[in-house]
Amino acid sequence: MTPAKAALRAALALVPAVMLTFAVPFVNRVEPRILGLPFLLAWITAWVAVTPLFLYAIYRLEGRR
Amino acid sequence: MSREAQALLVVAAILVGTILFALQSVRRIKMDPQQFLVGGRSFGSLLLWILLAGEVYTSFTFLGAAGWAYGKGAPAFYILAYGTIGYTIGYFFLPAVWKIGKERGLLTFPDFFLDRYGSKPLAIGIAILQFFLIVPYVTLQLSGLQTLLTIAGYNHFDATAAVAGAFILIALFVFTAGLRGTAWASVIKDTLVLGAVIFAGIFIPIHFFGSPAVMFDKILQSHPHWLTLSSSSSGQGITWYVSTVLLTSIGFYMGPHTINAVYSAKDGDALRRNAIFLPLYQLVLLLVFFAGFAALIIVPGLTGTGVDRSFMLVVQRFYPPWVLGAVAGAGCLAALLPASALLLGAAGVVSKNVLGDAFNIATSDRARTLATRLLVVVVAIMALVFWLFDNKTLVELLLFYYNGVTQFMPGFVFALVWRRASALAVGSGIVAGDVVVAYLMAHQTIGTFGINPGFVALVVNVAVCVAITLAWPRRTLEEPAAVAASS
Repeated sequence: MTPAKAALRAALALVPAVMLTFAVPFVNRVEPRILGLPFLLAWITAWVAVTPLFLYAIYRLEGRR
Repeated sequence: MSREAQALLVVAAILVGTILFALQSVRRIKMDPQQFLVGGRSFGSLLLWILLAGEVYTSFTFLGAAGWAYGKGAPAFYILAYGTIGYTIGYFFLPAVWKIGKERGLLTFPDFFLDRYGSKPLAIGIAILQFFLIVPYVTLQLSGLQTLLTIAGYNHFDATAAVAGAFILIALFVFTAGLRGTAWASVIKDTLVLGAVIFAGIFIPIHFFGSPAVMFDKILQSHPHWLTLSSSSSGQGITWYVSTVLLTSIGFYMGPHTINAVYSAKDGDALRRNAIFLPLYQLVLLLVFFAGFAALIIVPGLTGTGVDRSFMLVVQRFYPPWVLGAVAGAGCLAALLPASALLLGAAGVVSKNVLGDAFNIATSDRARTLATRLLVVVVAIMALVFWLFDNKTLVELLLFYYNGVTQFMPGFVFALVWRRASALAVGSGIVAGDVVVAYLMAHQTIGTFGINPGFVALVVNVAVCVAITLAWPRRTLEEPAAVAASS
């Protein structure tokens, strides 16, 4: 794996993790409501839901082992 | 027939039916330690997915997550986040752990340390520590079971004997069927739990409020700050949320039972593919939160440990007995099957790493299978006794479990990426971390600025481990001698 690919892989893994932890102080509010959910809960739910896409991208990047 | 008899009959039918199905599935399997503890390392993606997901969805998820939404509000959201990050971490390191486990014939979590660091005292110490961290986790499942059975009996009978009966039944089931039986039983459990959660999280809010959105409107009217985290640095605010998510996601795979599931994979690729899909399973928790929030409006006023009964009380009061029985039955499986995996993990660790490695007892395949089976029953009885005498401080004990097992992570990671770390460094780190955890949890008046005490302990642990390694690095870096399983 080239250094560029390895860096991309690390970034892909870190984005959802950071969004679910360190970004939370910035989205800690009720409005705007998304599909009726308070914003904080919608934010966490959305990042949980898209994490598989990030992991799948990493999987494709690594190729079969 | 009285309504409690109807509800309890449905619960009993679900438990017995699940056990019979699982026994049927393992009828032709011959048991040796490899088969009993790690399913012969043959599980493909689907069975592995159900086993891994199933071990995480315990009665704490079923009752506790709703209870937290009911009793605490937004801090409950950490439960949704940490598993997702745990799976991401697992994606990267589990295939390597699986490969080492396969090549060296490892059976348990301490085996991994024994093999990588070549130190029996370290592995035995970890085995004993894990054993003591597991018992309260099993005990917690028993309390969940008690709550469910009491509610299913419409509070008309003392559930203690029923809990003991159900638990002995599941211990005998594990005795017979091993990890493969647990995996098959989890197939039924997960289906039923999913049904129960959809009922409680979607049907109940629509039935009472018209839609989840209206339910949230009502909560915001009566509890304006319930759905956001407090920004104060005391209690369960933002700092607590971030540090708790980090701590518990790091500790996610550090229990003896989860590593059994990892070893049971057919290959490393099955583990990676699993990690991709497992976060989707976390979304079920959103519905569990809905159930807890709905209960906050429908049956307000529960406090203390009563919050764990929140949505079950709604089902009890407003729905027919068979519905209550079905939901409670699913919940009982959610308590019993993870408990069975915990029993199996703890028994495997004691028979292999304490009896076998420390005392040279039961080292042949046959004797080890028998010893592990008997230990399943011994651990079950210990947990039962512990539960009968002390069921007050369970939440503390659960937190102690996570805080405690997470201290194994630095040694685990260094074994893969920093071979200069020695057994002494890793062992000292674990001891330092667990001492800090015990001290901070015993003296809760000591402020940690809202940071989870286990996280503070983890930082101390890593610092001690790195310092000792830098001072006295391991000189011999050749592969340690094979000291693991006989087969």
